Amino acid sequence: MTVIQIVLITLIAYWKMTDTVTLQLFAFNTIVCGWLVGLVMGDPATGLYIGATMQLMSMGVVAVGGSSMPDYPVAAIIATAIACSTGRGMEAGLAIGIPVAMLGVNFDVIYKIFNGFLMHKEMSLIENGKFASFLRLVKVSPVFYGLCSALPVFLCVAVGPTVVNAVLDFMPAWFTTGLSIAGGVLPGVGMAMLLMYMPLSKYWSFLIIGFVLTAYLGVPVLGVGAVGLAAAYEVYKKEMRAATAPAGAVSSLGDLEDE
Amino acid sequence: MSKEKILTKKDCRQAARRWLIGISTFNYETQLAPSYAFSVYPLLRKMYPDDEDFKASLLNAMKYYNTMPWISPFVMGAALGIEDEGGVDSLEAVNNFKVGIMGPLAGIGDTIGWAMIPTIFGSIAASMGMQGNPLGIFLWAAFTFAFLAVRILEVEWGYNMGINVVTKLGKQITVFTEACSVLGLTVVGALIASVVNLKTGLTFTNGDVVMEVQGLIDGVMPRLLPVVAVGLMYFFMNKKKVKMTHMILIIIVLSWIGAATGIFTA
Repeated sequence: MTVIQIVLITLIAYWKMTDTVTLQLFAFNTIVCGWLVGLVMGDPATGLYIGATMQLMSMGVVAVGGSSMPDYPVAAIIATAIACSTGRGMEAGLAIGIPVAMLGVNFDVIYKIFNGFLMHKEMSLIENGKFASFLRLVKVSPVFYGLCSALPVFLCVAVGPTVVNAVLDFMPAWFTTGLSIAGGVLPGVGMAMLLMYMPLSKYWSFLIIGFVLTAYLGVPVLGVGAVGLAAAYEVYKKEMRAATAPAGAVSSLGDLEDE
Repeated sequence: MSKEKILTKKDCRQAARRWLIGISTFNYETQLAPSYAFSVYPLLRKMYPDDEDFKASLLNAMKYYNTMPWISPFVMGAALGIEDEGGVDSLEAVNNFKVGIMGPLAGIGDTIGWAMIPTIFGSIAASMGMQGNPLGIFLWAAFTFAFLAVRILEVEWGYNMGINVVTKLGKQITVFTEACSVLGLTVVGALIASVVNLKTGLTFTNGDVVMEVQGLIDGVMPRLLPVVAVGLMYFFMNKKKVKMTHMILIIIVLSWIGAATGIFTA
């Protein structure tokens, strides 16, 4: 591979990740990566074939609500680059591309943790009235996110797959497993924060209803939302009556209902 | 009671364009809140010339927020509509409203936007690509580019809806806030059961049978561990005033220990 090819392929990886987290014009479009790298390597047909294969592999694997998933675009990029440069076909490319895609997920988790520290800094900037600095700091996130893909791709195509395998071997299992466990638990912090802002002591029963519907009955969040809407409407009607009627009328109405 | 509106169509489009910062600011605690605050920043500044009011509103915008990014502009517009009508007194209503509708809308958005559309266009593009034809890529891209227009217009649509809701309610906005928080709490209950994940890998041997503790827990109460985890976090942050940053570090360290000992599993 020439230096120009390495640079272009790294840029493709950077662009793809940046698009996925900002404009999302090519979100979940894995095949475009294979094709673009194929063009760079002078073999778009092979690139398309590998991209299409990865596209089919990735389908059904949908990250919802910010969970991390294998970085299939990275796998397509590396698989195409390796397959075209070594001439050993798609299998050789995938054998290296898939492990690197798994490495990419770790970068993704680490970046989201890094974003958390940025967020705290942003909060304190707002509290201190430094609004312009707050705006500047938010802009950091989209600029460096692309490195989560660009870095592993660059390492792989420039230095060779042995380095990537060495990095993967070096990382102990508890480190990567621990990170994905933390990735599962950390959204709970946001939930706990949210509950602190909401009238939990007054309406905690609805929290239980929502939980039971999903945990025991497997109702999707949209269905739970419909139940919540119904409950909200009843509360709304009741409170509206209390708010509009004069105090005396409410108590006499209450008496009537008791009888 | 209806006061002079501050935001214009142009402001709404500006917020929509700024939202293209997308999910890049995603963090585990407030999720997409920094993107949200960044998008509405100039609009809030216009609404609140007073620094203290502006600060209160911006901090409100920095609270936990997550929904499907292509539907988010609509939520944002509606919240802006409520806030433009109600001012700094409506901040609680704005947040409860956001929390109440972001979950259900994310449910629709994820299913259509992240499952159906990529499956349809992806299989077309893949089958064409297998034969060496890149046209499928452009077909897919044509759709996402066209949808970009919808994403820009959504803020205006939401804004008009938000204004209508508040105009109709008038002084009873606090009632609306309460109702929103009921919806919100129901949805948060569902989110705890679906978004937070924690499993144990512990097993014990009973005679010849190896019992998995997770299986036993699921039999008693599915998603018990996520609830306990959120409950503990709530307790330590609300009652013991543990800082969020410390909480996160504790969670990461405990996850590593849990992974090393096998108490927790991914």
